[in-house]
Amino acid sequence: MTIFALVLRIGRTMKTPFAVVLLITCVAVISPAFGQEAPAPATAPATLKIDTGDTAWVLTSSALVLAMTMPGLALFYGGLVRNKNVLATIMHSLVILCLISLTWILWGYSLAFGPDKAGIIGGLEWLGLNGVGGEPHPTYGPTIPHQVYMLFQLMFAAITPALITGAFAERMKFSALLLFAVLWGTFIYCPLAHWIWGGGWLGKLGALDFAGGAVVHTSSGVSALVCALVLGKRQGYGTAALVPHNLPMTLLGTGLLWFGWFGFNAGSALGANALAASAFLATNTAAAAGALSWMTAEWMQRGKPTALGVASGAVAGLATVTPAAGFVGPMAALVIGLAAGVLCYAAVVWKGRLGYDDSLDVVGIHGVGGILGMLATGLFASIGAKGLFSGNPAQLGIQAITVLVTVVFAFAGTFIILKVINAIVGLRVDAEGEQRGLDLSQHEERAYAKD
Amino acid sequence: MNSRTAFKTLRIILSVVVLSAVAVPCLLAQEVPPPAAPASGAAAPPGTAPAEAAATPAPPPKIDSGDTAWVLISTALVLAMTAPGLALFYGGMVREKNALGTIMQSFIILCVISLQWVLWGYSLAFGPDHGHIIGGLEWFGLTDVKSDAANPDYAATIPHQAYMIFQMMFAVITPALITGAFAERMKFSSFLVFILLWATFIYDPLAHWVWAKGGWLGMYGGLGALDFAGGTVVHISSGVAGLACAFVLRRRLGYGKESMAPHNLPMTVLGASMLWFGWFGFNAGSAVSAGALATSAFVVTNTATAAAALAWMVAEWLYRGKPTVLGAASGAVAGLVAITPASGFVGPVSAIWIGIGAGVLCYLAVVWKTKLGYDDSLDAFGIHGIGGTWGALATGLFASKAINSAGADGLFFGNPGQLGLQAVAVLTSWVFVFVGTYVILKVVDWTMGLRVTVEEERIGLDLSQHEERAYSRG
Repeated sequence: MTIFALVLRIGRTMKTPFAVVLLITCVAVISPAFGQEAPAPATAPATLKIDTGDTAWVLTSSALVLAMTMPGLALFYGGLVRNKNVLATIMHSLVILCLISLTWILWGYSLAFGPDKAGIIGGLEWLGLNGVGGEPHPTYGPTIPHQVYMLFQLMFAAITPALITGAFAERMKFSALLLFAVLWGTFIYCPLAHWIWGGGWLGKLGALDFAGGAVVHTSSGVSALVCALVLGKRQGYGTAALVPHNLPMTLLGTGLLWFGWFGFNAGSALGANALAASAFLATNTAAAAGALSWMTAEWMQRGKPTALGVASGAVAGLATVTPAAGFVGPMAALVIGLAAGVLCYAAVVWKGRLGYDDSLDVVGIHGVGGILGMLATGLFASIGAKGLFSGNPAQLGIQAITVLVTVVFAFAGTFIILKVINAIVGLRVDAEGEQRGLDLSQHEERAYAKD
Repeated sequence: MNSRTAFKTLRIILSVVVLSAVAVPCLLAQEVPPPAAPASGAAAPPGTAPAEAAATPAPPPKIDSGDTAWVLISTALVLAMTAPGLALFYGGMVREKNALGTIMQSFIILCVISLQWVLWGYSLAFGPDHGHIIGGLEWFGLTDVKSDAANPDYAATIPHQAYMIFQMMFAVITPALITGAFAERMKFSSFLVFILLWATFIYDPLAHWVWAKGGWLGMYGGLGALDFAGGTVVHISSGVAGLACAFVLRRRLGYGKESMAPHNLPMTVLGASMLWFGWFGFNAGSAVSAGALATSAFVVTNTATAAAALAWMVAEWLYRGKPTVLGAASGAVAGLVAITPASGFVGPVSAIWIGIGAGVLCYLAVVWKTKLGYDDSLDAFGIHGIGGTWGALATGLFASKAINSAGADGLFFGNPGQLGLQAVAVLTSWVFVFVGTYVILKVVDWTMGLRVTVEEERIGLDLSQHEERAYSRG
């Protein structure tokens, strides 16, 4: 309790955002790695040899996944908000990318992928990338430098909290956002990534999540729901028109997401090989199917197919095929994509009836898509693993458990984090700041100046 | 009058290109690669360690498909830095009436230098050394620059042409960076001539000094200054040239009196993101292989960028009261610039320090600019000049042989001499580029005039130079 009180005091007195930066700086200073950043020379067994083709592909994929966050997601969300909030919305993705880039190399990677402690969390042995060098790691990509794997994972850790920002768009305080990114990235993302990918208990149970259906999409979607509930609706929600200010910007963002997602899914093969090719194909197929099925559902229900619908459907297809990409063939991907388009569209339509303001549909697209994808993996898995349709019904059960654990953990954890931040700096901008728009009230700048 | 000069310029450029195009076919016969079968023999390096080769028949350098794939991808990534990256970064920052004019400058540089480089630029910069000062014209029109054999002097496992085209993208982006200094007021025809002259007489020699075999400043038979991916060659040179341009062209009409607010900041952020994305090719690609060195360069690039964006944002928050999106984007670019020369020689924690230094120093430079009164319109000098200088010096502080055994240790790793070498390289680049750019600008000014007329400036470059509008309503 005293620690909590201390945090509160520090937060209130010294301007929280600077505390975040201060914290990062402190860890950098004390980091054991400064000065001896070099990896210990080749102690790894001779079988681990760096392959230039695999390394080239995973490096390329890392750059592609970066492009998903900035500029992809930033523009996807930026176009959907009103003119007065576009910069603030873009800034969310940008600043999260910057923060996670530092926290990940300082402590995040070690917590998520460091030496396993009781299946729950990674140890602090790799703090500041100590011991994470140019030699391959036997489980994390035996043909690429260990740092490539770290870097590739960094881009995943960055995009996941950035996805959540769509839920509280147009009303979150910037200082609260900074805290949220660091806390969520540390206390929700790192444990989850460890459980499923870092040698933790869900992975040992046999959970299949090729590129982040649970770790990235279910977790961000569920956390988004909590954010929408805790922050409440935007002013004028349901009464005034809150229309996208620039749909071509959103479509450009969608295109970049699709482009970058090849790195996300096919890069998760950690090599340039048949598995990468199969994941690439499944990704493209599901994205196309998701776009077309959303468009069709909307056409039937609303009377017109919209460009925004096609874009959302493509993202839904991409999110849904993510956990399955390395385990299914193209026909299964087609079915997954079709289901994703329809179900995510239904979720977005129902949102209006349930009344929470998930402003840019993170829950409907990533939450529903992620859960659907995890379960579909349990049904369709046929490459390198077996799902229900390949005669292994137990896999579906394991997938369901994984989803359930992710949902409960992300929901409860995000709720606590939001309450803590609310106590320290407050979550929402004041009514007047929201009225003027976040660009002016939080950043004192305008997106578009007229001559 | 104006159109006549423009016409004259065009004729000059065209004749140069045509002349070269005539010369090239004569050389073409030699360029056609021999059938691939004897590739191993053809690839045998003419001048590398003959004694060793005699003792044990050393395996001739073999082209590695992974390395080649990485360098080719990196080349495309660096292209994306110029257009659309830089074009949009600068394009969003100008006023609406100059958006196309600004984008056009990056775009056309990409076209002009792409030709200049294959015709004579690569040969001048990387061709056989003459007196440690300049490359010869032996590789004019890519004579002897093969697509089926490596040049082990520069990169032993990729085709020589892959190295050439990777370097081309550097030669392209460097003059494009300068355009931020004279945005919204330079005449298009003079701009074309300036760029061609600058690339030939400033960029090519400087690249030779620092990176080419035999150049007097660099690691390869020179003094031993470290510049992994272009701190001196690209960023100091473009930044200082930008400063010279801001002095010679003077301020924009109404500078300091009228609002010159960016017309489209989301466009600028999009550009900054594309720069970040492409910079992985710039820095990690400079390893010219896909292995541990490329990885390390990639990691520190991302780290320094993030640190610098946050540092600029915090500095601005403290100083101005609000963190801005333009600030975060500018900080990211400043971090990318500063880590460039260091990226192959430092570790991730050093990169955080380099990034923080870049964010704060470049922010101060941009703030002080207004007090000094020169109009470096889009902060080419503040970001690239200052960031590049800091990065080149920081390389002398943080470099470590533990990261790259082919490099050197810096001051913090027990070798203060390296900092001195870096300072020599910085000073040389500053003086050479400033004087050289000044002379070129004066020559162009006397012969054809640098600035558009007052009336043309007022209606904007889009209409006066290109007769088109960026956005139509309705």
